[in-house]
Amino acid sequence: MLNESNVMEIQANVNGVDIAEIAPVRMHAADFLRKKCGLTGVHIGCEQGVCGMCTVMVDGVALKSCLMLAVQLDDCTIRTVESLEEDGELNALQQAFREHHGLQCGFCTPGFLMLATHLKGSGKRYTLSDLRAEMSGVLCRCTGYEGPVRAVAQYLGDQMIDA
Amino acid sequence: MPDHVITKPEETPATAPGADHDTHTHIGRAILRTEDLRLLRGDGYYVDDDQPGRVLEMAVARCPFPHARIVSIDISEALQLPGVRHILCPEDIADSTRPMTVLRPVPGAAALPYYALAQGRALHEGQPVVSIAATSRAVAEDAIELVHIEYEPLPCITDTAKTIEPAAAVLHPEVLTSNILAENVDQIGEAHQKLEEAQVVVQDRFRVNRVTPLPMETRGILASWRPGLRMLTVRMSTQTPHLVRKQLAEILRIEESCVEVAASDVGGGFGMKLGVYPEDVLAALHAIALRQPVKWIEDRLEHFRSATHGRESLHDYRIGATQDGRITSFIDDYVTDLGGWNSSFGSSQLSSVTFAGPYKVRDAYVRRRVAITNKTPIGAYRGYGQPEVNFAREVLMDRLARKLGMDPLELRRKNMLRPEDLPWTTASGAVYDSGDYPLSLDMAANAIGYDAHRAARSNALPDGRRVGIGFSSFIERTGYASARFLMKRGSQFGAHESLTLRANRSGGIDIYTGVSSIGQSTETAMAQVCADVLGVDMDIIRVHSGDTAASPLNTGSFASRTMIAAAGAIQEAGTALRAKIVRIAALALECPEAELTLEGRQVRHRTDSQRSIPLSQVFTRAIVGQGIPADEAPGMEVTTHFEPPEAAFAFGTAAAKVLVDPLTGEFEIENFVLVHDCGTVINPMLVEGQVRGALMQGFGAALGEELLYDEQTGQLLNGTMMDYFAPTAADAPPITLLHTEVPSPVTPMGIRGVGEVGTIAPAAAITNAVCNALAEFNVEISALPITPEAIWHALRSPQCE
Repeated sequence: MLNESNVMEIQANVNGVDIAEIAPVRMHAADFLRKKCGLTGVHIGCEQGVCGMCTVMVDGVALKSCLMLAVQLDDCTIRTVESLEEDGELNALQQAFREHHGLQCGFCTPGFLMLATHLKGSGKRYTLSDLRAEMSGVLCRCTGYEGPVRAVAQYLGDQMIDA
Repeated sequence: MPDHVITKPEETPATAPGADHDTHTHIGRAILRTEDLRLLRGDGYYVDDDQPGRVLEMAVARCPFPHARIVSIDISEALQLPGVRHILCPEDIADSTRPMTVLRPVPGAAALPYYALAQGRALHEGQPVVSIAATSRAVAEDAIELVHIEYEPLPCITDTAKTIEPAAAVLHPEVLTSNILAENVDQIGEAHQKLEEAQVVVQDRFRVNRVTPLPMETRGILASWRPGLRMLTVRMSTQTPHLVRKQLAEILRIEESCVEVAASDVGGGFGMKLGVYPEDVLAALHAIALRQPVKWIEDRLEHFRSATHGRESLHDYRIGATQDGRITSFIDDYVTDLGGWNSSFGSSQLSSVTFAGPYKVRDAYVRRRVAITNKTPIGAYRGYGQPEVNFAREVLMDRLARKLGMDPLELRRKNMLRPEDLPWTTASGAVYDSGDYPLSLDMAANAIGYDAHRAARSNALPDGRRVGIGFSSFIERTGYASARFLMKRGSQFGAHESLTLRANRSGGIDIYTGVSSIGQSTETAMAQVCADVLGVDMDIIRVHSGDTAASPLNTGSFASRTMIAAAGAIQEAGTALRAKIVRIAALALECPEAELTLEGRQVRHRTDSQRSIPLSQVFTRAIVGQGIPADEAPGMEVTTHFEPPEAAFAFGTAAAKVLVDPLTGEFEIENFVLVHDCGTVINPMLVEGQVRGALMQGFGAALGEELLYDEQTGQLLNGTMMDYFAPTAADAPPITLLHTEVPSPVTPMGIRGVGEVGTIAPAAAITNAVCNALAEFNVEISALPITPEAIWHALRSPQCE
């Protein structure tokens, strides 16, 4: 039986810092980042891979961390929302969300920000409809999505193309 | 056509040079939110972000049946599991607590006392039966698996129409003789007689779907208890910290002095996070028993079954009219489904207030019946009765137009209240304050391109799809019409908002409010109003939200009421604070008060720019009581409680343009126009955000969301996010937002509420558009949600050719 005494050490680079933390092998990655690493900007909304609140970057790719076990983070490089600001200021993506009123309660925001960071890093081009489809992996109940979509489109800049 | 009303957003602006204190330099501007600076950094502080050492976590065993007798409970095996600290069974609760209390009882209803754990019988799937505190949530859940509960399933009723039948088994036989908890009638004139005399009558039963508010953050509580201090400290995801404090004290049988509640960041509420739920009581009881912090974070499966649902109701609506289209009678006889118990906010009550909409009808009757079923309790949900009745009335308006052979726009215009008719008192005693309702109708018609559509020879597209346009006009009550109104209904809260303005020695002003930050941006909006009332820079004002230990007793964030009442409180407090600032500055600058004004971070002479004193010095003088007028009390702090005299009624019209495939029923919304009026706009960016967000919830409930129950077993069929379809970014139709700005004469600064308005109009506008598109087939729709399948079935109903 898997219980709290089945543990493993996880070594990873989290937001630029090498860490080594013991965690139960049944703990999922979102709980690990929140409880063992103190990264409470990683939110949890459904633990089923639907809502996208827990989206983080693992080895450069946006993933839903509730669908991963913590032990799968071993030897990985992880980025969370806490790493985005630059020199103490909001980065261009965060600034775009603010200018476009892309957040209200803020609970989904880290998910959108990490997804958008991934989209930027991918270098791919998106029509507005592609972008809306990409962003459908993160739910938001407050904004009606117009603000987040405008913000990400602005951030992607010339990666955005006409349909 | 502009697709939004937003003006260019801006950073907190400095006060314009030479601006007088009464010049609005912040109100009305799209100033960027202060909340964003923390939320964008992942630095929000939601309940689960508080992670104290030695915290225990709670899990709950819930009844898996919609109705069952609890035969026996065996916890002996669970107690043996390492890490389990404490188990609560039903008898523990009955011994140590009072039943759950209700903040907004159903008027005229008998109390349905129930405890945090089911006593002998559970009335809905998900009702808590046993709770366990353990060293982690995982261990607590392991222990729940080891609790052996024997249930005897009982016959259940989940259908609203069936539960009100006389033959239905009574679910609360100890209190009621039927499953109707209460019945309330409001009327004016002779609606039934006028209906009999009417030349034309239309009527139908409209079925409104049960949905879930579904905030992205589930419920959660962290409770700790210090026995020596007798203090229960609670951090909770709630819209009403002060009301939670009151309820916890009542239920736990301790004094309010022994309870502190804080809610800083709340990940959405939408009416669902009002008041105390059973799990909050359980977590507090564990913490009190263990002298250790106990946390419960609701998981999404629990959320679908135990957090309150919304909307479900049946409206039997009838309209009587003359042959030339003058409406002579409105009658709405509706049943609202309460579920198994009366939650803190109970059933929706606003259908009765707004059932007549924006129309000039002198004979109107509405009857509400509140029905008990074996489902999760219903609570407040954004709109709270208004989207429901709007769907029934506005869809029936279009049917009346078709029956009369009249244009639906003309029918509405002919019967709509005109500006000169206001104020207007309705059958329910509501007073519509002001506005230009027909203007919103015309603006919506123009924006959607109605004239061209009406003039077109055919509405068929080359691909066979049909084009349709539909309208939906609405009235929305925002805020409360004084505590007298609430008292008549037995509500356990006031209509006021309270806050404290307190200056500090750095030259800043702190606002302490019991309103928690649920996404509604009150921290920004309150600072904007305060900056203008005082005439100072906005960035010296900091809003501290949602802590009962720091803020005066208030009401909370719901009913689109916060800014209506809070603006008045800020105005009163700010005016008093400003007067004291000027009195002290006048002493310091040795000049008459009238010659001074506040600007930026200082008090200065109006004409002599050399004479000024920084606010930090004025505040310091006051705080230490040194260098102030002899008859002046020390301190620079004001607390006010402001009650708006009346509710303000927002209004507007929506128009939808749809393309429908008559073969498959599939359809697309090509454009959706909403014209609305929220009175004086404090921040147009925030208004747009509120309206768009509520519209999307309106679309969700109209087009896809529905909690489905198995007819045989009574169990929830789609209680996961995988199965319940909340709209995504890809589901949003194009939206055109337009607004008028008629200041309300009955609220401070003319503000109307704006938080809920978007939920009201979508369902009827889309239904009417679909029926307009398919007019040649005589399609009628009377139930939500409107899905392609529903349209396909409607196309095959007997009245369609």
